[in-house]
Amino acid sequence: MAERRKLEAAMLALTVFGTLLIVPPLAYIFSQPISHFGVPQVVIYLFAWWALIITATVLLTHWMPRDSADNGESE
Amino acid sequence: MLSADFVIATAVAYVGLLFVLAYFGDRRARERKKSFLHSPAVYTLSISVYCTSWTFYGAVGNAARSGLEFLTIYLGPTIVFVGWYLVLRRLVRISHLQRITSVADLLSSRFGKSSRLAVLVTCIAVIGIAPYIALQLKAVTSSIQAVAGASEFGQGSLAGIDDVGLALGVAAAMALFTILFGTRHVDAKEQHHGVVAAIAFEAVVKLAALVAVGVFVVFIGGGFEAIFRNAAARGFTLDVENTFDDRWLTTLGLSIAAIVCLPRQFQVTVVENSDEDHLRVAGWAFPAYMMLMSIFILPIALYGLTTMPAGANPDMFALTLPMAAGQSGLALFAFIGGFSSATSMIILESIALSIMVSNHIVMPLVLRFTPSGRDGQGVSHLLLVARRFSIVLILSLGFFYFFFTRDSNALAPIGLISFTAIAQFFPAVLAALFWRDASLKAATAAIAAGFVIWVWSSFLPSFESVSPQVAELLRDGPWGISWLRPEAMFGLDGLDPLAHAAFWSLSINTFTLIVGSLLTSQSTLERIQANVFVDVFRRGNIAPRNFMRGVATANDLYFVAERVLGERRAAALFETAARESGVSPAMLNPSPEFIGRLERELAGSIGAASAHVMLSKVVAGAEVSLEEVMQMADETQQVIEYSQQLEKTSAELRSTAQQLEDANAQLRVLDSQKDDFLSQVSHEVRTPMTSIRSFSEILLDQGELDEQQRHRFVSTIHQESLRLTRLLDEILDLNALERGERTWENVPTDAEAALERALSVCDALLRQRGMRVEFGSRARAGMVDGDGDRLCQVFINIISNAVKYNDAEEPLLRVSSSVRAGFYGVEIADNGPGIGKAERSLIFEKFSRGQHGSADQSGAGLGLAISRQIVARMNGSLDLVAGPLPGACFRVRLAVLR
Repeated sequence: MAERRKLEAAMLALTVFGTLLIVPPLAYIFSQPISHFGVPQVVIYLFAWWALIITATVLLTHWMPRDSADNGESE
Repeated sequence: MLSADFVIATAVAYVGLLFVLAYFGDRRARERKKSFLHSPAVYTLSISVYCTSWTFYGAVGNAARSGLEFLTIYLGPTIVFVGWYLVLRRLVRISHLQRITSVADLLSSRFGKSSRLAVLVTCIAVIGIAPYIALQLKAVTSSIQAVAGASEFGQGSLAGIDDVGLALGVAAAMALFTILFGTRHVDAKEQHHGVVAAIAFEAVVKLAALVAVGVFVVFIGGGFEAIFRNAAARGFTLDVENTFDDRWLTTLGLSIAAIVCLPRQFQVTVVENSDEDHLRVAGWAFPAYMMLMSIFILPIALYGLTTMPAGANPDMFALTLPMAAGQSGLALFAFIGGFSSATSMIILESIALSIMVSNHIVMPLVLRFTPSGRDGQGVSHLLLVARRFSIVLILSLGFFYFFFTRDSNALAPIGLISFTAIAQFFPAVLAALFWRDASLKAATAAIAAGFVIWVWSSFLPSFESVSPQVAELLRDGPWGISWLRPEAMFGLDGLDPLAHAAFWSLSINTFTLIVGSLLTSQSTLERIQANVFVDVFRRGNIAPRNFMRGVATANDLYFVAERVLGERRAAALFETAARESGVSPAMLNPSPEFIGRLERELAGSIGAASAHVMLSKVVAGAEVSLEEVMQMADETQQVIEYSQQLEKTSAELRSTAQQLEDANAQLRVLDSQKDDFLSQVSHEVRTPMTSIRSFSEILLDQGELDEQQRHRFVSTIHQESLRLTRLLDEILDLNALERGERTWENVPTDAEAALERALSVCDALLRQRGMRVEFGSRARAGMVDGDGDRLCQVFINIISNAVKYNDAEEPLLRVSSSVRAGFYGVEIADNGPGIGKAERSLIFEKFSRGQHGSADQSGAGLGLAISRQIVARMNGSLDLVAGPLPGACFRVRLAVLR
């Protein structure tokens, strides 16, 4: 099932690139001592990352067909 | 103002409420399979047992001390759950199929059902979790003291009791609660629906409490912006530029490992999972829960730092801030929230650990040392007792750790010590799920090595403040060997102690696992299990499960058998089995059939149910029911049948294709012959027509021809007309024969006479060619059912062919006839060029003509086809056979009339 395989790849990509966004060196980009609305930029960045990755997971999971739909599925 | 007595009474009442919840939850789950207790929401909430008092109190303290670092503890699990499809789903599927009960069980099962590995993992887990339990005790103790310490009046009955006494009391109470909660009965699948219900409830309480405190703090602090501004004005700013340092990476990595390997997380996420699809919700809902938990931590910490006196314990801000503002109700709620997070962790962690201890350490020992004669009920009872003692042991260890390290202040660092210990399982767990070649020896060595490094570089240094010897060791190294200093091993100095410990333990762990696996080999059972684990989504998931669940070590089985059957009978049973499979009893690898036989033997002594329970205990949840074996056999049978059918069908297809190809080739040859024939016929018809036309034109135009010439021309026209008529007759004749329009009646006929007649007709032809006729043996008479004239026609055709195509120097014809076995047969052979192999199959087809032979052949190539049809109408056969002469030999066979 091509659809499922693509979604699996998308999940892997989300996990890997999501991780890369919160570790050095990418995280350095946002760790400047600037504040928006009094809140340090890095705090906003991390919570925004959090909200976005949760939303992306909701979407990917929503599109991912359930296992019960095809029992003999392959990896 | 809150008093300590009131707070303690509230806590006890709260635990009572939890107990009622658990009790009814259990009943409800038992009665209705589809109750909301089996919903993804409850599942997700139970997973949030991850957020302990470390989160509730410790995260605030951590944020106050080291800024954003507290977030990594929740970002790591977020990554794992976002990628639920990759690791967790696989883990849950495998554990369901293999009836895994704990992380120790998982590793032992994957690595050849090794009991030694299970013992090692269990021991490490119990020791490694001790600091974590201590953290909860410390948090609860501190929170009670924070409430009570507020005033002299608040002390109440706690007056005169120090923190150690209080912690002991808390630990004892917790042990009691846990025993009441978690060890009321033994569940075959180790699921505790009631406890999970209570944990889910606590998850709601702690989230609500923390959010309530957060909202309150943001409110009195004047909003997020004001809190951050005021904190900055007081000099409390986030050390933003050093946020992403080595500790960030370390704690992120440790939390990723912990969310998978922590015994209680494994219990709720994997073992208590009743439906794989619940992960679909937990995948985003648990990260969302943690995010909600984290939102207010920073404001609480900063506001606490800004407003509280300098010496205040930042770990307790969530509790002390409402108290300082005079909000007793909110403070009580916060206390209950913190208490919730601590109790849920302690209850679940000690249940999970007690299952590991009782299943992997106590049971094997009990089975080894108790005298035979106990029944299955006794074993079940024993299991419960073992679990209760394990719970007491685990909480005692936690208490002792607390006792020895009570001088250290912060909560979070204690938790990270536990995380580092538990993370030692992570490489082996990942290898179990994804790497086929990981071996038992390597996994055992890797975990042991990682554990030793952890003890040395993380566990031991945590006693620095209470033990001068440890402090000295940290400074100088053992016996003054400086490169063995616990916090600067192998000269790696200057690193953060946590990062240092995690780096060395995990890299040596992983290195040992990989190199060890490459150097060692796996046992058969390991290989089978490795394939079952790695290919869990690839094969049909029924057959291997049933088969593997029947596998146990002979040793384990022997202990059971010995206890029930007595030494002599057990030994005899095992020796017989060993002899049958041709190995020594020590090397016996028990097959499912053998386990079945053993179960029957045991059932003879203690009853079927008890025998089943006993065996499945020993085999760690393994069982082979008759039904499953039948199903397995059925499936195998189906697969075999299916493949046989396929084989047969493909063989049929192959032969059909071959036949088609042959037919096609024949058609192609015939087609070209037909084309040849048509041009031949056109040519043959055209030649006489041309001469007829030209001669008749001469006769019409030229009046002064003499009579002789005129006569010659007319006779030529006549002859050519005859030839045309003959050709057309032949075509018509064959057409009629082929369509089955027989123009004669079969009557008794003397075939021999017909042959004589044909020979005499052909006499002139033979003489003209100078062909000698030789006779072999002759039948006296051959009465057959047929038509004399037609039969004669056949013989004439064969003889004239023999004459026409013969180009030998001394042409010879040999005729013989006989009556044999009820058949009259005539063979007519010649010494001509014969018929080539390629032509043999075509010679009887219409329009076919021999390639060799004299140039003056005038037939249309229909003779033999007609002859064969005629003979066939007389129920006989005309064949080309191997004859006595070099040329062709035709044989006519007809059934003799009686």
